[in-house]
Amino acid sequence: MTILLTPEEEEDDPTVLADDDDDFDFFDGGQLPVAEKEEDSPRNIRQQLPMVDRIFRSTVKVIGTFVLILTGAIGLFLGYQAFPTFEHYGWGFLTGDKWDPSKDVLGIAGAIVGTVEVAAVALLIGVPLALLAALFTSEYCPRRIKPVMVAIIDLMAAVPSVIYGVWALFVLQTPEIDLARWINQNFGFIPFFKTDADPNAAATSVWGRSYYGSVFIAGAIVGIMIVPTACAVMRGVFDLAPIGEREAAYALGSTRWGMIRSVVLPFGRGGIVGGTMLALGRALGETVAVLLVITVVSDVKFRILSEGTLTISSRIANSFGESSGIQLKALLAAGFILFCMTLVVNTFAAVIVSRSRSGAGTDA
Amino acid sequence: MTTYETTHAVVPAATDVTAELNELAGNGLNPWTPSQTSGSRAPRHREAASLDARNVSAWFGSRKVLDQVSLHMQAKTVTALIGPSGCGKSTFLRILNRMHESVPSAKLAGEVLLNGEDIYDVGQRITETRRRIGMVFQKPNPFPAMSIADNVTAGLKLTGTKVGRSEKADLIERCLTRGGLWNEVKDRLNTPGAALSGGQQQRLCIARSLAVEPEILLMDEPCSALDPTSTHRIEQTIHELANDVTIVIVTHNMQQAARVSSQCAFFLAAQGTPGMIVESGDTDQIFNRPQDQRTSDYVNGRFG
Repeated sequence: MTILLTPEEEEDDPTVLADDDDDFDFFDGGQLPVAEKEEDSPRNIRQQLPMVDRIFRSTVKVIGTFVLILTGAIGLFLGYQAFPTFEHYGWGFLTGDKWDPSKDVLGIAGAIVGTVEVAAVALLIGVPLALLAALFTSEYCPRRIKPVMVAIIDLMAAVPSVIYGVWALFVLQTPEIDLARWINQNFGFIPFFKTDADPNAAATSVWGRSYYGSVFIAGAIVGIMIVPTACAVMRGVFDLAPIGEREAAYALGSTRWGMIRSVVLPFGRGGIVGGTMLALGRALGETVAVLLVITVVSDVKFRILSEGTLTISSRIANSFGESSGIQLKALLAAGFILFCMTLVVNTFAAVIVSRSRSGAGTDA
Repeated sequence: MTTYETTHAVVPAATDVTAELNELAGNGLNPWTPSQTSGSRAPRHREAASLDARNVSAWFGSRKVLDQVSLHMQAKTVTALIGPSGCGKSTFLRILNRMHESVPSAKLAGEVLLNGEDIYDVGQRITETRRRIGMVFQKPNPFPAMSIADNVTAGLKLTGTKVGRSEKADLIERCLTRGGLWNEVKDRLNTPGAALSGGQQQRLCIARSLAVEPEILLMDEPCSALDPTSTHRIEQTIHELANDVTIVIVTHNMQQAARVSSQCAFFLAAQGTPGMIVESGDTDQIFNRPQDQRTSDYVNGRFG
């Protein structure tokens, strides 16, 4: 049957239909044993998208991929630039704490330790502040005030870090030095709180200066700077605590604080941890405010109240202008170390937040 | 006309002496107070109380949803609130244990007397009121992060009630038994409550409510999200609880109302008007000899 027929001819000739029938015998189940039914396979149900949709999707895909490539490229660039440094200085670059380009001795151990210390102090000060602020905005403040509170806390994130630095230098520093001296006098037996200064000297004397530019001073201002970041994430998850469980607690005769402890905080645990880690990521990288308040000392120091410290980012900002050649590469290597630290912290944060019940619905 | 079997034989509340005493207390004739009746610690024999709503109105914003509803809920009796959606019966229930005011813009008028004392009196502590008047919600809401045992004792922690270790174990067993869940979970008390089935979760919620020894238990459509088997199990539980707790249950299911309650109130909100009680009284009467044509139409399935 290879005769080509036009539709008209098909209609005219009754024998053609009968012949057609013969051709389709194979598909007629009635004439074949059922056991030999043809195997089926999944059919394609993917819809054909209109051109506009396809253009939009590919544009979004390209932009999204570009962000990934950009971040990856920065990491690769830093890693590539860091390589000669590690070759030149070896492990001494990570373990040494002297920075003397004239003698070709460069070490960032002091900066690494300082970074961790400043971040730790910042978290100790910033996280409780953020947690209480988030609880207040989410649970306690009147509904009319809430948008104002949210806007003000978000505004804190918009203030440039140099402003925080200057404010810390001119306003926050004086009471902080008094506080540092008080801690030193009363808790000086704890190694961290020891200083080189005479705790009983007046704050304004030469000895009083020994409390300037310490880890504590820098950590405090960074702690305030991370409040909006941490607070936004925490408030977001507290708001999502299920109304059913809240009412369950209230119906048992719970106070509001009891309800918060049994429902909101367990629900928001992922957000609290995630917000803290995100804030930690920011604290590790904070540069300008730290550089403004610290006295640059490159030694490894564990006395957080005592004058002088250094963080990786402030080391880079401080030395970049006067460096060239291998020293410049060394700064990029320091940047690579910082990049890796923040990458690890942020990855941990993302994993913890996404694994928690409250984090599933948020994108912190 | 359909004839419903009611439960007067199962719940002989009206003949109970203590219930009658509470009745008197509800009318202000007997100076009984809960503190006098709950002397010993474990197990506490708190007497069931009566609840008396007087001219209760409710608003959400400027919209009035309940108009001067009065209803007496007898001690140790199951009172069912029936009516079509949006007639204010859930709102009324939430007014009975002060959950209504947790909704912003919610307002109310009238008074609710628990054993003769107005729970909305400025001298009343809202937390104590809610502890004495427990609530089971439409959607089972166990605390998902807590184990089954911790869920049961959550109310003690939340109300700051300290109990000893062995006393706590007794309490967990007693409450889960009363909630009809003990046999199913006694081997896995430390597993999360969220892992239970919907019906089991709801019974866990009932057990949790019972742990703080409420005098009244409010149930807001407790079976509407459950399958018939779980529903049957919870109705059994309600029957058993009615021996020592006053129960008020909102239900959309008229057969359920007929099965579990001995008193019944029919709520109705005409188009654009706030809800009100059309008729209330013995369940038998509401279902088999309704006085009002609208009640008759509703219980016989002609609308709603």
